[in-house]
Amino acid sequence: MGVFDAFMISLSSVWADSGFAAFSGGNLVMILVGAVLLYMAIVKEFEPLLLTPIAFGCIIANFPCTGFMEEPGAMQLISYGIKYEIFPPLIFLGVGAMTDFGPLLANPNTLFLGAAAQFGVFISLAGAMALGFSAQEASAIGIIGGADGPTAIYMASKMAPQLLGAIAVAAYSYMSLVPLIQPPIMTALTTKEERSIVMEQLREVTKFERLVFPVAAAILISLLLPPVASLISMLMLGNLFRESGVTDRLSDTAQNALCNIVTIFLALGTGMTMNADAFLTIQTVEIILLGLLAFAGGTAAGLILGKIMCKMSGGKINPLIGSAGVSAVPMAARVSQMVGSKANPANFLLMHAMGPNVSGVIGTAVAAGTMMAMLNR
Amino acid sequence: MTENPIVIMLINMTIVFAVLAILNVFLRVLHAIDPTFKKPEPPKAAPAPAPAPVAAPAPVVEPGISPEVVAAIAGALAAYGVGFSQVKSIRPVDRVGWKGAGRNEGVSKKL
Repeated sequence: MGVFDAFMISLSSVWADSGFAAFSGGNLVMILVGAVLLYMAIVKEFEPLLLTPIAFGCIIANFPCTGFMEEPGAMQLISYGIKYEIFPPLIFLGVGAMTDFGPLLANPNTLFLGAAAQFGVFISLAGAMALGFSAQEASAIGIIGGADGPTAIYMASKMAPQLLGAIAVAAYSYMSLVPLIQPPIMTALTTKEERSIVMEQLREVTKFERLVFPVAAAILISLLLPPVASLISMLMLGNLFRESGVTDRLSDTAQNALCNIVTIFLALGTGMTMNADAFLTIQTVEIILLGLLAFAGGTAAGLILGKIMCKMSGGKINPLIGSAGVSAVPMAARVSQMVGSKANPANFLLMHAMGPNVSGVIGTAVAAGTMMAMLNR
Repeated sequence: MTENPIVIMLINMTIVFAVLAILNVFLRVLHAIDPTFKKPEPPKAAPAPAPAPVAAPAPVVEPGISPEVVAAIAGALAAYGVGFSQVKSIRPVDRVGWKGAGRNEGVSKKL
């Protein structure tokens, strides 16, 4: 055998072992999807901190023959962090450390707006069951309407792990598209007079309230709904770090270094669930459409309750803050502020909208907990 | 367990509202029993007028500026230790548009 033959045999062996030999049209499509998501993240700046690692994870997931999921290593560890629900509670620790519950404590009625916005979750659940998804799958799809990525991933991991990729992508995509999805619904459901309402300044919240709330809320919700105890407890622990005044270093770590590290892993791991075989199905299209229905339904329900509260308060509540009940902190509150200031440039709704916004986070976790308690087999 | 989506919706929405209503009641009770909360004091009777200081030249206040605005400016300056006598004039600067734009910029970029 000549040198040339040996060279050709080696070359063909390298080719046979390479990813190119096993590369499918589906992988190509998903890599293009990843490229589009990267474009949206970097050029359009749609939630770049999340969408960039998700998009890159999508590209990585479509490299054949890597053995990422079979062999121990960093990639498998990241996947386990998703599969065994490790990352969502850690993200909630950071979210809690970043969240100011002051507007909610100052005006507890905004809790109801956070509850009303969960209606979208159940509209989507009904739609998913009508399309033939099981009740467990439908509950995981519905939670997209909560606009809370970590809760959506947590719920999907528990209730429908096979749909995790599609659910996570739909949840994070719609969260990044809040400024495009919500304003048309907000202007359609409210009058200019309602949007122009200037709300009274919120009362001052004492340190006593800020300290007792996270402890009491963690105890109350965790005892009522044990399936979401890890999410709620970590959210409230992070908030206690923030408010205690004696754990500044822990608060700083939770809201910066730790949250950033876990965000990288969570988003990359989510992207890595977007393998062509699992993702390129008609179910994915259905999930993305149902997610939009959930999101729009939640926004509309929050606005409608906002209008009712506006009437009951004698026009003191601007109904636009109701749309912030869909979580997506703080994007949804910013959208309320933008739409409100467009109707009345002297309007400053941001802090008022933060009340429903953070209560939406609690509401989504409660909705997830009730569905897990009710439907988990 | 039921798999009727309407029943699931009704049960779950009821629980979500109930849990958040309990939290609502709890927050109100917490506020009511808060030992550190100071109720706003009723306005006290105006103290006896202090002896008039040596007259300083009054600042020129442009027409259209209400006495309340002048008082607020004087109060804000006093908080920073600046005497009102150092003010030469008070005139409005038309910057409502800039202020609104600045606020919106801050809200959209910095939060």
